Amino acid sequence: MSSTWVIASKELLDLRRDRLFAVLIGFLAIATLISVGVAAAAFRTELDAYNLYVQQLTASGSTTPPAAPQLFPLQLLRGGVEYLEILGALFAIVLGYGTVAKEKYRGTLQLLLSRPVGRFAIPAGKVLGLAVVWLVVVAVLTVLTTLAILVIGNAPLQGIDVARILIAAVVAWVYLVFWSSLAIGITALSPRLSTGLIVSIVVWLAFVLIVPQIGDTMDPDNQVPGGLFATLQIQKPDELKVLANFAAFDGIRNGLEVSSITKHFERLSFAFLGIKDKYNQQPLGLVWTDMWGYAITLAAATLASVTFAVGATTRRNLQRKIS
Amino acid sequence: MNTFLVSARHEMLNTRRARTAHILLIVFIGMVIASSVIGWVTNQTVTGVYNKVVADGLTTAPNPFAGVSPLYYARNAVIYVLLIGSLMAIVLGVQATLRDRKASTVDLVLSRPVATPARLLGQLAGLAVVLAAVIAISFSVSWLIISIINGAPLGWDDTGRVIAFGSLSWVLLTAFALLGMLTGLRSKQETTALLVPFVIWSAVAFVLPQIGTAARPVALLNPVPAVASTGGYFDVVSAFTGPLSLTEQFKRASSMILQDPNVTGEATSSILILLAFLVVMTVVVVVTPRNRMRSGLNE
Repeated sequence: MSSTWVIASKELLDLRRDRLFAVLIGFLAIATLISVGVAAAAFRTELDAYNLYVQQLTASGSTTPPAAPQLFPLQLLRGGVEYLEILGALFAIVLGYGTVAKEKYRGTLQLLLSRPVGRFAIPAGKVLGLAVVWLVVVAVLTVLTTLAILVIGNAPLQGIDVARILIAAVVAWVYLVFWSSLAIGITALSPRLSTGLIVSIVVWLAFVLIVPQIGDTMDPDNQVPGGLFATLQIQKPDELKVLANFAAFDGIRNGLEVSSITKHFERLSFAFLGIKDKYNQQPLGLVWTDMWGYAITLAAATLASVTFAVGATTRRNLQRKIS
Repeated sequence: MNTFLVSARHEMLNTRRARTAHILLIVFIGMVIASSVIGWVTNQTVTGVYNKVVADGLTTAPNPFAGVSPLYYARNAVIYVLLIGSLMAIVLGVQATLRDRKASTVDLVLSRPVATPARLLGQLAGLAVVLAAVIAISFSVSWLIISIINGAPLGWDDTGRVIAFGSLSWVLLTAFALLGMLTGLRSKQETTALLVPFVIWSAVAFVLPQIGTAARPVALLNPVPAVASTGGYFDVVSAFTGPLSLTEQFKRASSMILQDPNVTGEATSSILILLAFLVVMTVVVVVTPRNRMRSGLNE
């Protein structure tokens, strides 16, 4: 067995015994399931309101009821995707940090470094171990949320829906590996372990919460509850025509959003799951044609993050660490 | 000098020397200041969009932004307080109590005739002063920027509202600092001490409001309130989760103080809930037993 795989196996064993890890993943799973349940409840409430409205219309003699609200099962996953992009990233950072910090706290770092392991075996083993852990976690979350759609949401799924969920799961896995690797690299470079964690959290705060939040609040349509254009009763084609006159502002706003890797994850997931109306019920090929750029940037960012983790976690950096 | 004042001074000195905490302090001050500019640029653009819509004859609806208060430009600051400010306060709180346990200086401190409530309240007072200073700096600059945008200094009423918003922000941040202090005192590991309050914060900021209103997590980061689902399940559940959704209570009260036209009602109940949170957290931290303060870290 190679040194890299031995270290990866040790990471898996450590995490299997780690109660904090179990609590974090449990919390993430519960939040995701709650989001599916709440979205299903919101749809039922909307449907009840519609039925009541139709009853009143019929009683008043009208024969042309409005279109009924339609349930698209994968749209129930919107909250779950958002939890993964916020909390999943935070927990990925904690796991990445923990994988370096524990060796120092337990005093096993010196022992590890005294063994004849290759230059890249330790960081590569740790990244590999976490990648396997995230693969398992994402697989479990995928099964749970799919069951939640069927049972809690009471919504049928087609074969193509399952394919869409699987694509979103792969995207989520790549995103989580990005954050864990980044945290490993930052912790390895930080002289103090707690500094590594806090700096990683500041990066998370900036790129997961602040930058997308600025872009979101600059969106003209987000200035009024329910949407500016809906309030002004403007149709979509007219909205696009008006916004074309503000291309520079929208360019800056969009530029801010896409500077965050989180938005790349979000846009990819929303497109493939059909959460974004534009891509709802569209063939996968068409979605891919529009989204391949985001897929490339997410993959490239993750590759860069893994390279950073492996490059920064040197023997020298690990040895100078202060707890 | 008594234990309370010595502990408060010591805490302020430590925060001044903690370079990592400075990153969060700088990000917070910077973002609160930037929020006014972001608010102004967005408002200008949206007014332009509305004018274009009217010019094209697409609507006869009145401009939803006509006659908004100049404080409208500061509404993004509400989000930065509960986003960056809360996390900053948690980090400061965790470091305050964990520092003594890590360095084992708590044994030395408690070998002196020191009452634990005085020690903990002193540390809290030190943190409270730091948080008040940070809020004062960022909101003063924000006041200045809004005055420049407005073309005249803000009047007494608006200035009073900025001060009220700052005071409410201080209440929220101090309560989260207390949460950090609590986990710093109770956790066996440094990672857990930092992570547990973050998880509690995310449950309060995202999960609880979603359960009661079906608001999406990302939508909760927008100062404009999401349209809440009502009726049946949501009416019942939001009656329980609403008061516990502290960050939503803060958003609601702050938006009303800043005269956001999208938020209506009265702010008193939200302010009382936040004050109650602060009092409860203070009591929970102050009653920490002496042996808990002296317990070592299991790392």
